[in-house]
Amino acid sequence: MHDDDAMNELLRETLAGDVPQLSPAFDAHVMQRLRPRRLAATDRVVMAAYSLAAVGTAAWLMQDLPIVWIVAALVIAAPIAAGVSAYGRRLAFGG
Amino acid sequence: MYTDHADAWLVEKCCESADDDAFAEIVRRYQRPVFRLVVSILGQQFAPDAEDVTQDVMVRVHHSLGSFRGEAKLGSWIYRIAFNTALNDKARVRYQAPHLGEETLAATASTDRGPHEELQDNRRRRAVLACIEDLPEVYQSALRLHYWLDTSVADIAVMLDAPENTVKSYLHRARQLLHSMLAQRGFDAR
Repeated sequence: MHDDDAMNELLRETLAGDVPQLSPAFDAHVMQRLRPRRLAATDRVVMAAYSLAAVGTAAWLMQDLPIVWIVAALVIAAPIAAGVSAYGRRLAFGG
Repeated sequence: MYTDHADAWLVEKCCESADDDAFAEIVRRYQRPVFRLVVSILGQQFAPDAEDVTQDVMVRVHHSLGSFRGEAKLGSWIYRIAFNTALNDKARVRYQAPHLGEETLAATASTDRGPHEELQDNRRRRAVLACIEDLPEVYQSALRLHYWLDTSVADIAVMLDAPENTVKSYLHRARQLLHSMLAQRGFDAR
């Protein structure tokens, strides 16, 4: 037998074996991974209550402060909150 | 849905209107060849990880679809992402599980020979599998696609984005290299 034919045969024998198959729901799993994750109804209520309480407390604490300080606090806090939120989304969706 | 539309139309739909159904159609079209390509790169011992890696490929394709310029075919672009992703993941998976699985050898062992011949065959198979791991990645992938996954040269050429004659020469060169690597270890192909 020619060397190349013998190697051909040896490779067929050695690499013979079960061929792995993709699971039938593969495409559904991928689409699920890409879908934005939504909070459950209870979690949304908790988040809304927390946001209202946070805004209320901040307003109560800042009521006696000069308007310049309030604007400065907003200017500093808003970009930080947006950055943290974007970072969190990137972590969650692997973008 | 969308099964009759061309790839370019699907890409446009995904990019312009974030159409999930269009991307789902792209996944359905390419999931099997991408999976085969990933399996061929990971090899037999890491095949159980192939589905997760294929999912990572599809997620990466989704995130990068905006940068697809349409200069190459969508399939070639996806296969290139699959090849690179699988190579990176193989390095990571190999680091976590560096030993060759015994079941891989047991699954291919012949049982109708004497114990001495069987032992000799097992040694030779182990040597062949070890030598394949030392070949350049593109040769390994071509060999596994052809001999294990029974993929035609034409289909391998599409997956590896190379002309058919180049794939034939990959296979020929890989056999030659294996022959000399086995000879160095004291085995021959016969």
